[in-house]
Formats: sequence, structure tokens, C-alpha cells
Amino acid sequence: METDIRFRHKELVEKSKSGDRSSQYQLYELYVDAMYNIGMRFLRIKEDAEDVVQDSFVDAFKNLGNFKYDSTFGAWLKRIVINKCINRLKLKRVAITPIEEHEYHLSNETVEIKFEATDIIKVKRGIDLLPSGYKEILNLYLLEGYDHMEIGEVLGITTSTSKSQYHRAKKKLVEIVKNL
Amino acid sequence: MDNLEKHITDNQEVFNDHRADRAKMWAEIESRLDEEKTKVIPLWKKPIFKVAATVAVLLGLSTFIGINFFDNTTDTEDGFVSQELQDIDMHYRSLVSYQVKLVEQNDKLSEDDKQEFLSFMNELDKEYEELRLEMRNNLDNQLVLEAIVSNYKKRIELIENLLHHLKEPQIKDENYGYTL
Repeated sequence: METDIRFRHKELVEKSKSGDRSSQYQLYELYVDAMYNIGMRFLRIKEDAEDVVQDSFVDAFKNLGNFKYDSTFGAWLKRIVINKCINRLKLKRVAITPIEEHEYHLSNETVEIKFEATDIIKVKRGIDLLPSGYKEILNLYLLEGYDHMEIGEVLGITTSTSKSQYHRAKKKLVEIVKNL
Repeated sequence: MDNLEKHITDNQEVFNDHRADRAKMWAEIESRLDEEKTKVIPLWKKPIFKVAATVAVLLGLSTFIGINFFDNTTDTEDGFVSQELQDIDMHYRSLVSYQVKLVEQNDKLSEDDKQEFLSFMNELDKEYEELRLEMRNNLDNQLVLEAIVSNYKKRIELIENLLHHLKEPQIKDENYGYTL
């Protein structure tokens, strides 16, 4: 019996490879919410997130033959979703927004609520308010569990850039949360 | 890992607060998978067609080999490329073998006469084989071709003479002969 985590749902994956629709649906059921949340965290727009998740599942099932259990099916699928999100953001991003402008913009918009370190909801809102580049790195590192090397691969930047950007993002987040 | 990071990773579920519209998204995924299926997967990808194709190829191959093998004794081993040459060769060959058979089955001839006749035929056969080898090397050689034809003609003439001779056995029973 397979105990390795990578072979999780192996039976479903194998059946899906041969085009079994009900196995494909079971995999979809297992992962759709997680993938949709990733899409929402990156794109923040319901329709965009749905598009990306649908694309990702279609691609995943079509290319399942290339999946060789180097990771779990979930991690493989997640990589597809994240890549699609990043690509979509790249297409949307006309120019990089200067940070100064954002700081100004954010300080104008903040509502007067007292900061509590344990208030995770505030942290979540703070992340939403981060500039797009910072948010992507923070999402990838803290919520998707990617290390800086993987982030570098996904975003096409160096590992050290990823590290420094992450630290700046975190600093910015603390500032934002304080002001919420 | 600092407090903020820990705070976020410990409260991951807060960041997974979206629920996907499963039915709607699956409908889209399924329709795109179906579309792809009818477009891309050709019949021969199904295992049964692979088996059928293999059987067909094997049958074809064995028939081809079989034909070559059994035809070996007749025309293909001749090495004649030209269809015309083959036709000429076939014509004379069948004529000669028919008449040789007539002689062999003729009970009016004595064993000695038959032996004598057949030894002549054997000599002509040898000559023919040599001509045929020559023919392989010099396909366009008119002289060789003419020699082959005259070889055949001589054999036929020989047989005709013999058969003609048989029709008047009582006259020249003792001292008949044939010259080349």
C-alpha cells in the first residue's frame, strides 16, 4: 500500500488519466474550493477567479498524462492555478504603481479602527490593501507555502529579490494593519 | 518566523473564506473537456482499435511473406524485372513442361527413348540456367534474350519431332533419331 503523500488520490488520478468523468469530478470536488480561494486571493474578482480555476482544471485533466507523482496532485494543480493567476495579473498590469502613491492612497482610505495584534481579519484586509507585487509575494510565501526559490521561478525574479521584496511587503503590511 | 507570520499561517482558514460555485464551474469544465474529446481523441487511440490495427498489420505482413515464399519457385526468383520478359518466359516454360509431361506419360515410347530424350532436355535446361544467370547481369542484352528464346524453341522443336515420330512408329521403330 502506498504511504507516500505524493500518491494521495492515486486511484482517482489514474482513472482520470484514462478520461473517467466521475473520477475527474471527484478530484474537482476535492480541490475546487482551495483552488478558487487561491484565485480569489490573487485576482480578487469572482469572475476572474472562476475563469482561472476552470482553465486550470481543463488543462490539468487534459495534461494529466504528464503528471508523474513528483508532487501531490493538489500541489501540481495549485502550481497551474498560480501560474495562470500570475499571467493574468501580468496582462492586467499596465505599469508598476509607485509605492509612494500607494502609501498616500492608503493613508487616505484607512478607517479609524483600533489595532489589535491578534485580529486576523485586519491582517487579511491589510493584505488585500497591499500593492499588487507585494501581495503576490506575501501570498505565495505565507499562504501557498512556497519558498523563495519557487517564488523566484513563478514570478521570474531572483531568489534574493524575492526575499527582499517579501521583507518589504511584511513591513508594509504591519504599517497598514496599524492604521486600520 | 515572527509573530505576524505565525499569526497568518496559524489562521489559514480565514483566508479560505470563499466558496466556489461548483455546479456552474463544473458544467463549463465538462463541456470543454467533451469538446476536446470529440476533437482530439481519434478512434485508433482506443485500445480495441489498436488491437484491430495490430491484427490487420500482422495479417497483411504474413500474406505478403507467404506470397513471396510460395512464389519463389515460379517467377519472382527469375530476377526478371521486365514484365514482358516474364511473360515470354512463362509462356515457353509452361509449353515445354506440358510437352515434357506428354512424352513422359506416353506408353508407346520405350524407357531408353524417354531417357535419351530427357537427357537432351536436361542439357538444354542447363544451358537455359546459364543464360538466365547471364540475363540477370545483362538485363538489356539482346543476344542473351534471343539465346533464351531459341533455347526454348529448340526444346519445343525437339518435342514436336518426337511426338511426330511417335505417330508413325511401325515405319521407323528401330533407327529414329533427332538432331539438334
